[in-house]
Amino acid sequence: MMDDGRSLVDRIASFREWVAEWLHGFYHGMVEHPSFEKIEKEAEDVEDTFLFACFADAFGIPSPASYYTAELLPYLAEEFEAWERRMWDRGSWLERKGQQYHVH
Amino acid sequence: MEQFVFFGGKGGVGKTTVSCAYALKCAEAGLDTLVVSTDPAHSTADVFDQTFDDDPRAVEGHERLWAMEIDPDEEVERHMGEIRRRMNEQVSAAIVNEIDRQIELAHRTPGAYEAALFDRFVQVMREADDYDRVVFDTSPTGGTLRLLALPEFLEGWIERLVAKRTKSVDLFEKAAVGDREARQKLDEDPLIAHLQGRKERFEFAGRTLREDAAFFLVVNPDELSIRETERAVAEMAEQDLGVEGFVVNRVTPAPDDDEQGRGATWLRERVATERERIDEIRRAFDEPVVAEIESRVREVRGDLLAAVADDLAIDADAAPAAH
Repeated sequence: MMDDGRSLVDRIASFREWVAEWLHGFYHGMVEHPSFEKIEKEAEDVEDTFLFACFADAFGIPSPASYYTAELLPYLAEEFEAWERRMWDRGSWLERKGQQYHVH
Repeated sequence: MEQFVFFGGKGGVGKTTVSCAYALKCAEAGLDTLVVSTDPAHSTADVFDQTFDDDPRAVEGHERLWAMEIDPDEEVERHMGEIRRRMNEQVSAAIVNEIDRQIELAHRTPGAYEAALFDRFVQVMREADDYDRVVFDTSPTGGTLRLLALPEFLEGWIERLVAKRTKSVDLFEKAAVGDREARQKLDEDPLIAHLQGRKERFEFAGRTLREDAAFFLVVNPDELSIRETERAVAEMAEQDLGVEGFVVNRVTPAPDDDEQGRGATWLRERVATERERIDEIRRAFDEPVVAEIESRVREVRGDLLAAVADDLAIDADAAPAAH
């Protein structure tokens, strides 16, 4: 074992830190990441319904509240633009659904 | 009488005449009174022979009397301009064009006109502290009823939107791992804050309409007008809004008993038919007939308005202090 001048206690501590970090990364890659990604996709789904409820008239469905929901557009501009693109482009939407519900 | 008094009814029954006459009565009773026209075909100008606009203006020749005409089209433009201004402040130029289409769309729907009218309406009520009485000369029945139903409808809508938004933001928070910043956070979500603000304004409107407002329907003594009034009363009851009474306008004056000519005979028959209609109104509704106003030969303005005001048996006393 190399003697780099540190005490045994220090070296054990840094080894444990390294193991903990590696394990966390391993766990995140195997378990956490896919499920968090799923939650995020679910969140996106809910956001899509929210956007649809706000801006149904973008798809020709008249909405009595669209005068008021237009006030939200400055906060939602980027989401709105991406949502509109997603909704019109059914191909990419289906692909995304496949990804979301594909069994890992 | 409540601080806010509304006159509604079918197009052409004489809402403007009655509203202006009542406003004059209030002003002469010593109340600072504002008469607000929300009818797209503003005729307040004809009654007082003076032009009005979106800001209250003193009516010449009368103490304590002000008038204004709400212009929903102007409000729609203002609303659209305001959203565009905020858009340009917060969003990159590339995206602005895409969104602009949606903004334009939202302001060109038929509902936009009503929403704008409603907003101005609420604003007038919020800023009415200077007046003891505000008299609304509303647009024809259908539009007014939809307008009065708006607060409840929109409150429910906003509640559902806030619930959806809360759920998605909550999920985004859960999806944020470790040090990763959540894409969106609940307690600083500007959307929820904005929606809540809107909801409070609708709640204010609903509360004010239910608690501090009185509604009168102007009706002519004819079949069509009575049917429309029946519908209006039923729809308002659905909104939890009570009608205080009816003003029967354009009642044909009876000829003197010794007159026997063709004109007099015609008038007599007409008066009898109208009498039946007025009796029908008194029978069919629980609410009282607060005035029967005879047809005038000429347009009601000037001294004639004061005469009509005298015919109105509607209280012109001040609103109760606590409201």
